[in-house]
Amino acid sequence: MKTASRASSLTRRKLLKASAATAALAAFPAPLIAQTKPFAGVTLHGASFQHRFFTLLQKYIPEFEEKTGMKVDLQLSALPVYNQQANLELSSGGSAYDFVNVTFTLATRWIAAGLLANLDEFTGDANLTPADWNPKDFVDGAQVPYRDAKGATYGYSWEGGAMLMGLSRMDLMEKKGLKIPKTFAELQQVCAEINGTDGVSGLVSWFLHNWNLPPYIQGFGGNIFRNPPGDPMPALNTPEAIQGVEFYANLLKSAPKGGLTYTEDQARQAMLTGRANIFIHSSAWVTPILLSDESKVKETSRVVRSPAGPVHDYPASNSQGLGIPKNAKNQKAAWEFIKWALSPEISMKLVKEHGHSSVCRRSIITSDDYRKLNTVNGQDLGALYLEVLELPGKGENYMAYRTSKEFPIVGDVLNKAFEQVATGQLPAKDAMNAAQDQAIAALRRAGTKL
Amino acid sequence: MERRRFIAFALTPSLIVLFAVAVLPAIYLIVTSLTPFQLTTPGSATDFSDPFRNYALLPGDPRFVNSLAVQAKLSVASVLFQVLLGMLLALLLNVPSRFVEFARTFFLIPMVLPPIVVAVIWKLIYAPDISPLYYAAQALHFTLPALTSSVDFALTAIIIADTWEWLPFTFLMVLAALQTIPDEYSEAALVDGASKLQIFWYVTLPFITPILVISGMFRLIDSVKAFPLIFLLTGGGPGTVTEVTNYYAYLLAFDTNEIGYSSAVTVVMLLLVCGISLGLVWMGRRKEALA
Repeated sequence: MKTASRASSLTRRKLLKASAATAALAAFPAPLIAQTKPFAGVTLHGASFQHRFFTLLQKYIPEFEEKTGMKVDLQLSALPVYNQQANLELSSGGSAYDFVNVTFTLATRWIAAGLLANLDEFTGDANLTPADWNPKDFVDGAQVPYRDAKGATYGYSWEGGAMLMGLSRMDLMEKKGLKIPKTFAELQQVCAEINGTDGVSGLVSWFLHNWNLPPYIQGFGGNIFRNPPGDPMPALNTPEAIQGVEFYANLLKSAPKGGLTYTEDQARQAMLTGRANIFIHSSAWVTPILLSDESKVKETSRVVRSPAGPVHDYPASNSQGLGIPKNAKNQKAAWEFIKWALSPEISMKLVKEHGHSSVCRRSIITSDDYRKLNTVNGQDLGALYLEVLELPGKGENYMAYRTSKEFPIVGDVLNKAFEQVATGQLPAKDAMNAAQDQAIAALRRAGTKL
Repeated sequence: MERRRFIAFALTPSLIVLFAVAVLPAIYLIVTSLTPFQLTTPGSATDFSDPFRNYALLPGDPRFVNSLAVQAKLSVASVLFQVLLGMLLALLLNVPSRFVEFARTFFLIPMVLPPIVVAVIWKLIYAPDISPLYYAAQALHFTLPALTSSVDFALTAIIIADTWEWLPFTFLMVLAALQTIPDEYSEAALVDGASKLQIFWYVTLPFITPILVISGMFRLIDSVKAFPLIFLLTGGGPGTVTEVTNYYAYLLAFDTNEIGYSSAVTVVMLLLVCGISLGLVWMGRRKEALA
């Protein structure tokens, strides 16, 4: 009896399920279902380095998967590990990834070696890219690294970094009658005068000298290469480069003990606690003195443009992009993902819901919502960020040195030479002459024709 | 014959695994070192047109030559410290006592920690703004320089950290050797009126010398692997003061993508380590033969 009743109940349930399924099928015929889930069954493989952007994006990926029917497999690793993996994967012509982070410093190499797909083919096709996605909305300075010599685009930037100057102890500066430095000379003076006052260091920096140093070299009128990217002959021992190296090494005399080997985190912490007065680095590392809950110096801090050199005002900037490997299996699906991840809607969500401000869409950066969130103590941080980020796109691309395929080799030599100067092992002239010879030898060894 | 066949049969799987994980990569390393392999230069991995170019360039590369000198300084100093201090510690702790037993276990901790953890510990110790070492120095009105960014101290800082990590190894080896020495020898010497120093010199030392040589040899071979300490503490700097050969090879391969040249550097390093090992084995055999 009991068994019979159970069997009858199961039959009823089955019948109800079958009816519901039939009704659903009648309402949405098969072709229409396929249209609403255009990438059903596709598993999209992508890789990047770990960054807050992707941690935030991962929260919204299920919505994207639901909409498109594809499954997104996003692998995130530490930056050096990712760069090695991507270098190997791309150069061996593999098809393991459908989309990749186009690392700023590797972009030119990958593009020149033909390892990435031309994204103009996607943006130029109205069926693949609606007009409102608007590729021109991306800040031009952030897009420069992802173009080839003919102007074709191989990546769209998801993150930008613009060099700004943070001052954490304006109270001390005011007491001493010091103003915000606008030139290299004023910067040197402020650092020297503040250093040691109330146990505060004049300035703090971090160990990647080939990122921190070039604005000083360029500020004095020099460059890392003679004329990048076309002429990759190193220019490390020009009088201007030597002057820049001497200046920056002298500036670091106002840094905390051991500051030469500080990590970014150590430098940031020194600023947040008011132990160092000036930090010149990408906006994401500098603006926390005003925006972070950890900051103990919110009331006495300012964030401004970094000082200008006697010849040029060239604050460094960078961006990271998303691109599609040339041999990717699911290029259209990958483009769908990139389009979604960098859409104005998602960008705005990241800004509004998570305060993530380093986006590269001009319409977002100039929006009222963005401005409201990024204006602190009357300082419009977004405007500053945009101003610096777009500089390399205006006229001469002064950041070209950084994405030259020769830069990793020359940058490494520059790092070592600078440390020799800063620690007094060699005078700047001797160190830079030796660095020039080493850089040329290393480039020739690597097959660069000079 | 049957026995031989059985041994060969039993060893085959292990030999295949050993060949796959040790010999094949080494062969690939040697093959790669004969090419100008760069990750972003298509075809460079199979370009054998000038096979000895990388090796010919090595003597003229000042950073490579410097890295060998740095490696030699680091290896000799750290092995000397580890052997001498390990011996001293073993002599001090070679007494039957519960406290000493606990102390022995305590001394083993650095050796069993993952190398990267050791590097992080020393990174904290050497960081002037948060280090207890600097607070203590300040309390004693003593000014310490920034150890890892100072030209004069950076290599010493690495040697100290490496010694801390591997001292337990030599300590353990020597302690084991000390405990095999029959008490009768030292008791007889004592009866003959020998001082403690004389007992150590004429009785203990001859017993433990082979162990000192063996542990020194192991540490010498291992000292070329001080990579995590250098990576985390100094990055090879300031300048190239702490840039040892394997760190230079790492930079070449992963920072500047010169895989072929980096392989050549690594092959030279491999040959040097093999040479040192064979030399020490030969010395050991010669000593045995003489004895």
